[in-house]
Amino acid sequence: MEITNIMLSGVGGQGILTSGRIIALAAMDAGLDVKMSEVHGMSQRGGNVDTHVRIGEEVPSSLIPLGGAHFLVSFEKLEALRYMNYLRPDGTAFVARHEIPPLTQNLKKDSGYVSGIDAKIEKKAPKLVWVDAFELAKELGDPRMVNVILLGALSNRLNGLGAKNWEAGIRQRFKKKAQEACLEAFRRGSAYGKAT
Amino acid sequence: MKKLMLGNEAVAQGAWEAGVAFGSGYPGTPSTEILEYLADRDDVVVQWAPNEKVGLEVSIGAMLAGERALVTMKHVGLNVAADPFFSAAYTGVNGGLVVVSADDPGMHSSQDEQDNRYFAKAAKVIMVEPSDPNEACWMAREAFALSEQFDSPVLMRMTTRVSHQTGVVNAGDKQGVTGKGFKKNIAKYVLLPSHARDRRHEVEKRLQAARAFGNESGLWNPIFNGTSGIGVITSGVAFGYVKETLPDASILKLGMTWPLPMERIKAFAGTVEELYVVEELEPFIEEALLAAGIEAKGSALRPYTGELNLPLVEKMLLGAPKHVPAVDLSDLALPVRPPTLCPGCGHRAMFDLFREMRLRVMGDIGCYTLGALKPLAAMDACLCMGASVGMAEGLQRFGGAKEKGKTVGVIGDSTFFHSGIPGLLDMLANGSDATLIILDNSVTAMTGGQPNPGTGRDIRGNEAPKLDTAAVCRGLGVKRVRVVDPYKLEEVRKVIEEELAAPEVSVIIAKAPCVLQFRIPGGRPAKVKVEACDRCGACIRVGCMAIHERGGFPEVDPELCNGCGVCEQVCEEKAIEIPKG
Repeated sequence: MEITNIMLSGVGGQGILTSGRIIALAAMDAGLDVKMSEVHGMSQRGGNVDTHVRIGEEVPSSLIPLGGAHFLVSFEKLEALRYMNYLRPDGTAFVARHEIPPLTQNLKKDSGYVSGIDAKIEKKAPKLVWVDAFELAKELGDPRMVNVILLGALSNRLNGLGAKNWEAGIRQRFKKKAQEACLEAFRRGSAYGKAT
Repeated sequence: MKKLMLGNEAVAQGAWEAGVAFGSGYPGTPSTEILEYLADRDDVVVQWAPNEKVGLEVSIGAMLAGERALVTMKHVGLNVAADPFFSAAYTGVNGGLVVVSADDPGMHSSQDEQDNRYFAKAAKVIMVEPSDPNEACWMAREAFALSEQFDSPVLMRMTTRVSHQTGVVNAGDKQGVTGKGFKKNIAKYVLLPSHARDRRHEVEKRLQAARAFGNESGLWNPIFNGTSGIGVITSGVAFGYVKETLPDASILKLGMTWPLPMERIKAFAGTVEELYVVEELEPFIEEALLAAGIEAKGSALRPYTGELNLPLVEKMLLGAPKHVPAVDLSDLALPVRPPTLCPGCGHRAMFDLFREMRLRVMGDIGCYTLGALKPLAAMDACLCMGASVGMAEGLQRFGGAKEKGKTVGVIGDSTFFHSGIPGLLDMLANGSDATLIILDNSVTAMTGGQPNPGTGRDIRGNEAPKLDTAAVCRGLGVKRVRVVDPYKLEEVRKVIEEELAAPEVSVIIAKAPCVLQFRIPGGRPAKVKVEACDRCGACIRVGCMAIHERGGFPEVDPELCNGCGVCEQVCEEKAIEIPKG
């Protein structure tokens, strides 16, 4: 079995690490090897962050090469575009419809956010799934659910991990009282992903 | 039992399995989580030290008592701990002593890229290098046995991509170890020159014995026989890239990288047609091969700086990378998203003032180093932990009239406790008139809010003695100690002006707890009155994530704003307001 590479990107504090951990736990539950790489420290202070997750029968190294990711899961549009060059020619991007403006330097220039970003993402992504993850999370009453919703959307396309494995990953990562809500959010994300 | 673990967690697991009695260290990315995970185990004494040197010295005390001791730090921390580290190589150990240094190739969170493998060579201690979390676990455990077997401290060299790699670990149970007790032996433990000269020979004998061990050890230095005729010698995180790039090559994977097993290396070299050395950062192994007359290709095929990755190793071993970007982003000029001070951080208020007052700021290591970046851009130098104090004294004295009365040293509370205090003593003892500003947020914030001597709690969150920064400064002999609230800009400005004019050493302590740990009392999200705004940009220039431009006017993100009130204070048009409760 080939190694499957999943790149996660966003802004510090969005729950990207947690998402990577859930994928890793689900993969372990499926009896697979997994390696994951993350960066702590400086990048957590509002900077862009990424987590590399690699799963397969045997995974020797932890960093995904540029042009090597089967999937890109982005929690923010600008950080989706920034990491798009990690995708393989047949890779799929799951992008949350969400904008976090980077630090503005002055009022005289434009906001610093990329104009026409949706079109740029659509042009650059080999395959693209938009996810209204923040809207869905709001409906569910907890904005922190964005990460499991995105994973739900991803789960439809990620071969090798079944619903049972994902459930095990989520149960291991969250405290008991949060588990059911997270599983529900995951299922909503999955249903959303199937519908689009 | 198989467990998913972060590399740093695996080090803690391995040390625990080895029956470690004591863990110490100073927080530093990428090493910090090791002690935090170790502190999850109730049967180990774990404590943060004020700096790495003290952490190592307390660990040496525990080791002399016959216990196994672990001390952790980032690579530059070993510079601070170098003095006891080199001498402990001479004394050797009673209980096992493992020193973890986490290097940061690529400088993700560091001021330099030093390769600490040279420390093992220079200090003449045994070194081990894991390549993934599973190895980090068993190597940490076995490192204690090596330490006791060869009567040597062991340096465990981690790197960012091993420390912050998560993987599947074969976790085991604790293997009981009982303390041996202290044994008086002044010829071994009192390094008078006469004793040290004898110990010097013991050090050399130990290295020879360890080298012979490494030459024979298939556990530490395994050989994977391939079929292609190509041989690769590698260590650390590079091993994974090599294995993935050349599955058919023969690989000598060095887990014990000092002393190098030269006989094993020579024998391996003799079995292959073409030999490569793949290692991250300096050509440490390659130089030894060169000195031994063994021909190998290596560092000339890769950049001399930064981390390795799969495409770089593919280029080294295959001539060209197999993986190339499929999506071209070169036509997009994407705005960068650099790290910034958190919304509501008390440091921001201070740096906004430093910029407005055009001060010459000798900075230091911590979150507040971010004050050097635009739009605050209010720092002129930053070197290493504690250096701000001495640099400020020197610049004040030699900068001439231009710098006089403008120069300040700016240091955080944790960094002040770490190594700022001796600098302040220098100012006092040598009659300086410099000004030191301590940004006191009561924690070691950049690495994730670890406690320091001024926090009042220990690594497990229990109540602990709390040092008062102002009392420490007064106790040292500083007569002018002023404590200010950084969120009151005009008051702080007045105090800074007074202390810059004072003809003696002054310390200004800007006291505001880290906003990641404590909420700002009465902090409600700021509101913008667009009709009153003249678009001067003063609020934007405080460089806060919570305030950005929208349609030419400032807009506050209520999710991010902590209500610190700095933007309200810098707005002359009174177009920003913190709602009163």
